[in-house]
Amino acid sequence: MPKPTNQEIVARWRDQPAPLLAVLHAFHERDGFLSSDALDGVSKGLKIPIAELYGTVTFYHHFSLQPSGPTLRVCTGNVCRLRGGLELLEALSPKGAKSMPCAGRCDEPVPVLSGSESLVGTSIDTLRAKPSPLPAPNPGGYAECIFAHIREPDRSTLAGYRRTGGYEALSKALREMTPAQVVGIITESKLAGRGGAGFPTGAKWKAVADAPGHPKSIVCNADEGEPGCFKDRAIMDHDPHTVLEGMVLAGYATGAERGFIYLRYEYPETFRTLERAIIEAQAGGLLGRGILDGGFNFEIHLRRGAGAYICGEEGSLLNSLEGKHPFPRNKPPFPVTHGFENLPTAVNNVETLASVPHILRQGATWYRGLGRNGHAGTKLISLSGDIRRPGNYEVPIGLPLKTLLFDWAGGPYSGRTIQAVTMAGLSGGFLAGDAMEVTLDEPSIRGKGSFLGAGGIIVFDDSRDMVRAAHDAMEFFADESCGKCFPCRIGTQRLTERLAGGAGPRDLSAWTEEVRDIGAAMRATSACGLGMAAPFVSDSLLQFFPEAVRFHVAARHTEKP
Amino acid sequence: MSATATERQQTMTLDGQEVTFAQGETLYEVARRHQIQVPTLCYDPRLEAFGGCRLCVVEVRGAKTPVASCTTRAAQGMVVSTATPAVEKLRQTLLEMVVSENREVAVNPLRGFASQELTTLVHRYGAQTGRFQGKHSGKSNSADLNPFILRDYDLCISCYRCVRVCAEQEGDYAISVMHRGFRTQITTEFNGNLKDSSCTFCGQCVQTCPTGALADKKALRGADLPGEIQKTRTICPYCGVGCSVDIMTKGDRMVGIQPAMDGPANQGALCVKGQFAFDFVQHDDRLKTPLLRQPDGSFKEIGWDEALDFAADGFRNALEKHGRRSVYGIASGRAPHEAAYSMQKFIRAGFGTHYVDNCSRA
Ligand SMILES: Cc1cc2nc3c(=O)[nH]c(=O)nc-3n(C[C@H](O)[C@H](O)[C@H](O)COP(=O)(O)O)c2cc1C
Ligand code: SF4
Ligand code: SF4
Ligand code: SF4
Ligand code: FES
Repeated sequence: MPKPTNQEIVARWRDQPAPLLAVLHAFHERDGFLSSDALDGVSKGLKIPIAELYGTVTFYHHFSLQPSGPTLRVCTGNVCRLRGGLELLEALSPKGAKSMPCAGRCDEPVPVLSGSESLVGTSIDTLRAKPSPLPAPNPGGYAECIFAHIREPDRSTLAGYRRTGGYEALSKALREMTPAQVVGIITESKLAGRGGAGFPTGAKWKAVADAPGHPKSIVCNADEGEPGCFKDRAIMDHDPHTVLEGMVLAGYATGAERGFIYLRYEYPETFRTLERAIIEAQAGGLLGRGILDGGFNFEIHLRRGAGAYICGEEGSLLNSLEGKHPFPRNKPPFPVTHGFENLPTAVNNVETLASVPHILRQGATWYRGLGRNGHAGTKLISLSGDIRRPGNYEVPIGLPLKTLLFDWAGGPYSGRTIQAVTMAGLSGGFLAGDAMEVTLDEPSIRGKGSFLGAGGIIVFDDSRDMVRAAHDAMEFFADESCGKCFPCRIGTQRLTERLAGGAGPRDLSAWTEEVRDIGAAMRATSACGLGMAAPFVSDSLLQFFPEAVRFHVAARHTEKP
Repeated sequence: MSATATERQQTMTLDGQEVTFAQGETLYEVARRHQIQVPTLCYDPRLEAFGGCRLCVVEVRGAKTPVASCTTRAAQGMVVSTATPAVEKLRQTLLEMVVSENREVAVNPLRGFASQELTTLVHRYGAQTGRFQGKHSGKSNSADLNPFILRDYDLCISCYRCVRVCAEQEGDYAISVMHRGFRTQITTEFNGNLKDSSCTFCGQCVQTCPTGALADKKALRGADLPGEIQKTRTICPYCGVGCSVDIMTKGDRMVGIQPAMDGPANQGALCVKGQFAFDFVQHDDRLKTPLLRQPDGSFKEIGWDEALDFAADGFRNALEKHGRRSVYGIASGRAPHEAAYSMQKFIRAGFGTHYVDNCSRA
């Protein structure tokens, strides 16, 4: 097949919603980079000023502006660093390999992205393509919601999905329920956002349903960029139709007819799985016009990110979809009234949406009852790091952390003890010592000064240098800070420099005061959650590891001035 | 947006005082109207509020964290404190952080209209403390040899006012933000020179820059001249829009031009001519005596009396032979307004015709 011309590529996408990323990927795939000709064509075709387009393209890690051979990207994320990621990068650097932040495969390090294929392995010899792991059967014997059927054969196909009730919720909703009733059940279930912020899903949907303006949109946030989080990948790889069904239901409940999945770049197999699932669903009359022969229409557009953690933040995500520079948006107004193209939009995490069909099929009371100690429902936890059985676990909300770590996941390696765990991937900083006596629910973890967020937990055993771990975490935030606001743009950089050594006062109390003051300014004044959360890392280091900090600062005296 | 008094029908509490506001007003705008100096660096009243510098944060009762007053709209019953000790401390920390990323804070005011904003705030908050030292951000572009705009990004603090003014006010979209985080850098398409971009050299980016990172190269030629900068308000003579400008002089030398932010016709905007094309005033090649063309085509310096007599004869001759409509006056845009006025008076009253125009209508 001849390669498409510039005009053909632009024409293919120009009239589609959210065309920019798709068009850029199409050029990048054809040429291996984005030439100035290509950018000129995109600029004219999509009417984006060329300077703005150029600046925006440089924002994303995975777009290259120079011809470069096929690229290998090695994960040097915070978990893979504990598992030889940096060594693998060095071994592959003669082949032009570059590093990438956490690629969402922490349960099976080290992932290497080769074109549109994910390889895993800890050395060149063991690298091979491998599907992402299925979650293990629930070790606690608890009833599950999202993972209840994920281990069934052929679950990722439409036929397999239908075998155990797939799309029954949709059919029931469209035939027997009003949109308001769907919102009502979700509200009653107490389902709350699983993407990090925990906003009640029913209230979000009601706000979109009530907001004036059309067309409305449902955006499935599948950017999953938080280091140590790989739960959304498991759902999409093994149970893609639940996500689609959840989106159509969200559309029906809110009156939205447009759906977008914003998928992180680092999940190429997932992209193909979702693409296939969308085609199957369309062919099965479950997507598109006149769904299940009724009057409801809903389209799903699949878009790939290009390597930017901040694009998981909903305002940044919407700007990215719209082809704008992906800075977060000022809030209010919120996406529920001013979302995609300034119209009412529900942005929901993959896990949130995947819970919806189950809740509608089995009822709000059933879902609420899955939690413990008065908490409603379940949460997926991505567990990784220095632990015997890393992986995704569906826990009843309220499960003790120690039960998960020791009973479910086998505890630390022999001869080791657990020194600290991160919360919310990296965004919640560290818990250590007695503070690890928490249950997995927001009130309990917030009581220790952290938060559960998206549910990534990275384990550090007693062999690890916690200042180093904190540095690597802060470096991630510095690399991913978008640069919109001062406290985060400068603060993440200064904290990284201080944690690296070689910068900051030589006196411990002055050093500590600088780190605390920067953290306080970031928490109080940052424009989005990235800058607000990053100081959890430095502050929890000061709180739980004062001795290690003292050593670290004392080493400043032996450095050259 | 400035609301009229009758539109201000809602009330809130601002630093302990009950005040009124109109639907849509931001907390910053309300504070401003009440003479409260909330500090800002990324704010330009002509642009959409951006919320980048976070210096404008204020405390709102009931809110978990301070909010940016530039992007937060006032709401009925809000209780707002603009300068609690906690907020002032956050501002000082933020300013100390900004100072730490920058090569210098004290810059020559000739660099641009807003170039002293950072300096002023750093002094107000006593923020030049040497804390938070580390890498500098921004890289000056000395390869861009255009004659007008110095791109001294070592001083840049990534407030993006330049990018936003170019897009929102000028509509040129010549510059943008490259990379991210601490590595952000103001760029043009393909990181080239301004002259190869869609830049029209209107200078608006220079005048809104709060640090002097973008600077008026022509004005900086006068940096070493002795004396204080004097500003004289006048109207740009180049065209019929009538942009207000402040002419900057040192002693009897004109050193540069700045747009008047309160100019009714331009509100801080200028074009390349009004902004940068003033060299002719003090140019060595400028004519200082009348010249008379000789039969061989060369010019001869003559005195004013002789020149005026010669010109008067010419006009009189044309009038007698061809009538009043044979005379047409065009005033020069390079001449002062008083001259333009005299010119039309001269043509209208002297010859009895309306055949008069000004070259700046072209
Ligand atoms: C820096 C940052 C990154 C984020 N990344 C993600 C992400 O990858 N996936 C996600 O679902 N939400 C992410 N969020 C949260 C979203 O902004 C938003 O709250 C969420 O998608 C809403 O969906 P939910 O209510 O279903 O959780 C992120 C937030 C921040 C501040
Ligand atoms: S907090 Fe960081 S990531 Fe968020 S807007 Fe500010 S600079 Fe960007
Ligand atoms: S001089 Fe005018 S056109 Fe050129 S970059 Fe600055 S604002 Fe834009
Ligand atoms: S050059 Fe000036 S106006 Fe532009 S971002 Fe930098 S400091 Fe702000
Ligand atoms: S003026 Fe509000 S953030 Fe800069």
